[in-house]
Amino acid sequence: MATKVTAPGKKSLQTTLEIGKAIRAYYGGIKEAQKAGKPVIWSYGLVPREIFHAANAPVIYLEHLPLMIGAKQLSGHYIQIAEEEGFSRDVCAFHRCFLGCAVAKERDPYLEKFFAPPNLIIASNLPCMSESKSFLYAADHHDCPYYFLDAPINTWGKDIPEYAIEYFAGQLKGAIDSMEEHGFKVDMDKLKESINLTKKMMGLWNEIDNCRKTVPTPMSTVDGITAAYPLIQLPGTELGVTLFERLLEELKERVEKKQGVIEDEKLRLMWFGVPPFYNMGLFNYVEKYGAVVVKSMVEYIAGGAFDPSVMDPEKPLESLAYKALVDIVNPTYTNMVDFIVKAVEDFKIDGLIGVVKRSCGLLPGYMRLAKDAVYNGSGVPMTIFDLDGLDIREYDDVTSKANLDSFVESLLANKRRQ
Amino acid sequence: MGTLETMKDIFNNPNKIIEEWKKDGKKVVGHRCMYVPEEIIHAAGMLPYPTFGTPEPIKKADSYFQPCACEFVRNLFDLALDKKFGFLDSMVLCNTCDAVRHLYNMWDTYVDSVPCYMVNNPQKMYDESGFKFYRMELEKFKKLMEDLSGNKITDESLKKSIELYDETRRLLKELNDLRKRDIPAISGSEFLRTSMASMLMPKENANPLLRKLIDEVKNREIKNADGPRILLTGSIIDNPTLIELVEDMGGVVVVDDLCTSAKYFWYTTKPNNDPMDAIVRFNLERTLCACAHPSEDRYDYLQGLIREFNIDGIIYFNIKYCHPFVYESAIFRKKLEEEVPTLTLEVDHSLSGLGQLKTRVQAFIEML
Repeated sequence: MATKVTAPGKKSLQTTLEIGKAIRAYYGGIKEAQKAGKPVIWSYGLVPREIFHAANAPVIYLEHLPLMIGAKQLSGHYIQIAEEEGFSRDVCAFHRCFLGCAVAKERDPYLEKFFAPPNLIIASNLPCMSESKSFLYAADHHDCPYYFLDAPINTWGKDIPEYAIEYFAGQLKGAIDSMEEHGFKVDMDKLKESINLTKKMMGLWNEIDNCRKTVPTPMSTVDGITAAYPLIQLPGTELGVTLFERLLEELKERVEKKQGVIEDEKLRLMWFGVPPFYNMGLFNYVEKYGAVVVKSMVEYIAGGAFDPSVMDPEKPLESLAYKALVDIVNPTYTNMVDFIVKAVEDFKIDGLIGVVKRSCGLLPGYMRLAKDAVYNGSGVPMTIFDLDGLDIREYDDVTSKANLDSFVESLLANKRRQ
Repeated sequence: MGTLETMKDIFNNPNKIIEEWKKDGKKVVGHRCMYVPEEIIHAAGMLPYPTFGTPEPIKKADSYFQPCACEFVRNLFDLALDKKFGFLDSMVLCNTCDAVRHLYNMWDTYVDSVPCYMVNNPQKMYDESGFKFYRMELEKFKKLMEDLSGNKITDESLKKSIELYDETRRLLKELNDLRKRDIPAISGSEFLRTSMASMLMPKENANPLLRKLIDEVKNREIKNADGPRILLTGSIIDNPTLIELVEDMGGVVVVDDLCTSAKYFWYTTKPNNDPMDAIVRFNLERTLCACAHPSEDRYDYLQGLIREFNIDGIIYFNIKYCHPFVYESAIFRKKLEEEVPTLTLEVDHSLSGLGQLKTRVQAFIEML
């Protein structure tokens, strides 16, 4: 009998367990809402969800559902279904997985609990242009209306010009109009309130990050990835604020007690690329060396590196437009590379682990840029290897662990020489 | 030498064009993808030069890009690292796919000798707010071209450039129309070379040659024209080998919806007193690239080609990891097959694995 090589990540914080429960409750609620006659939206993770909260709209996110499916090790099955529909293995595993879920004739009991067909699809090219069309297939399959929200790429760095903000704010307005046309009522006062709550959440997230910069770190990325969920799904909500307040409290207590994730923290690592959702235990694997994966880039998707002070509730769409366009994952490269360099310094990182999901058009392109910028800036090395974080069929446990072993051993050897 | 041969010679030796142009100290601006307005570069007195790849295997670029990035883009970057584009005074890219976005990132970071600029075009067509955004971006681009060339771009000079480029498009379309006949006047591979040569040349030289060529071939009939009539579509094809492969297998390639062919000349600019607005609308009132939204428009265009050119079969040549076309072919396939049989093939830009491709194309043609 084959030994199971994958394992869930070991969380060490109470609040992240609560966040996990909130995720399941959110998705369970979508199906119930649809049964009660409420229309359901399908959208992408970087479409500002404050507009959805302002309409009390139940939303399924293309990136998030596959992640849950992946954590249950079911992704391979649904990806296979999409491939049978004609989608090449070259296209994003998240999109293939979602499309497989969308068109499957039969769904397993786990997915069935959360799956609700769309009444409206709001697609976008933020941040992945190439994948922006996959929802068309789902819209056709479910015979459902479709709105496309066009996001300009960021060629300006942090100074996004007014005309770009105006354009994307206009696109958001178009999305709102489309929602209203299809049975949703967007409450603009609630949207303003959402901006305030997002502002508060982002401020709390920055404080959480400051706690994580301490040595030893009170929280690894295993908790961090779950903790980032409210950034993706709950910005602009009271629940998001409450969860972050609790998390901050828990972390402050740990910092005060100098309580780290592991007893003797020797190395601090950062993960760049898609985490192995079907095997989050891989993050714990390096702990045997006294190494902790302190942060991962994915925690910053959806505004985790954002300065909340620029958000103005009186200009809700413009604020959301700025937040979306300046997001580190919106190409081109300047903000992403600057962010990685700064994060490596701030979190006192000893080594950067870059993983390449072969079917990703976006993140692999940053690997060499990040590696050079970090090494030239602080001398911190980066290893890069193949690892598809969603498609379990592509996973090679022995090679992945061997890559981690050799990198961590070389970092430790360097430390000993210093 | 007939004009068809002249075009072939220009296609095979584009360096001659550069040498000739640069003799007087004039500048050359390289570009990639269809949302870079060549007319603005031309109106500044510079030569817009579409950059194409080579079938050579990738060398240096693979230590910058992961192998899962589009091979065409890696090939361009390889050429840039090898200083094969050293004759360019600037490189301009636009927002068409993730791979091209990354080409900008890499070029801007690692290629010091040729500065790179990104035109930020919307991907949503027919949207007035997008027109406004793109106009702002093009005004910036215009200023950049003025600064680079040292020449002021006036409305008059821009109008003249638009007219010149439209004339090239009209002539290429006229030549392409000669492929609608039962026995086409020009083969697919001959047309691709001609189209690419015309794209590379200064249009002041290309247009008289195209007129002469149309005159020369209008009564011509190609040999071996009794096979099924094929529409080629998919990723960029910048080498006639794949078309020749289809022709060798008995297919008659009568129209090619490619960046190097029909996409370049299918539409002309609509009359407009404001030339910048004319360019904005020219680029954003057509869905010719698979990157653009809405897709329905592109599907209608493909359907039009099927009818106009009396198509028996469609072949998608998708370069590996060319995500826009990999998606499009999967999304369109079922609907297209209701009209005509459609074959989707993944190809390497370096043209490796031709033997296997040949077998699949042969089987498809035989089936037709």
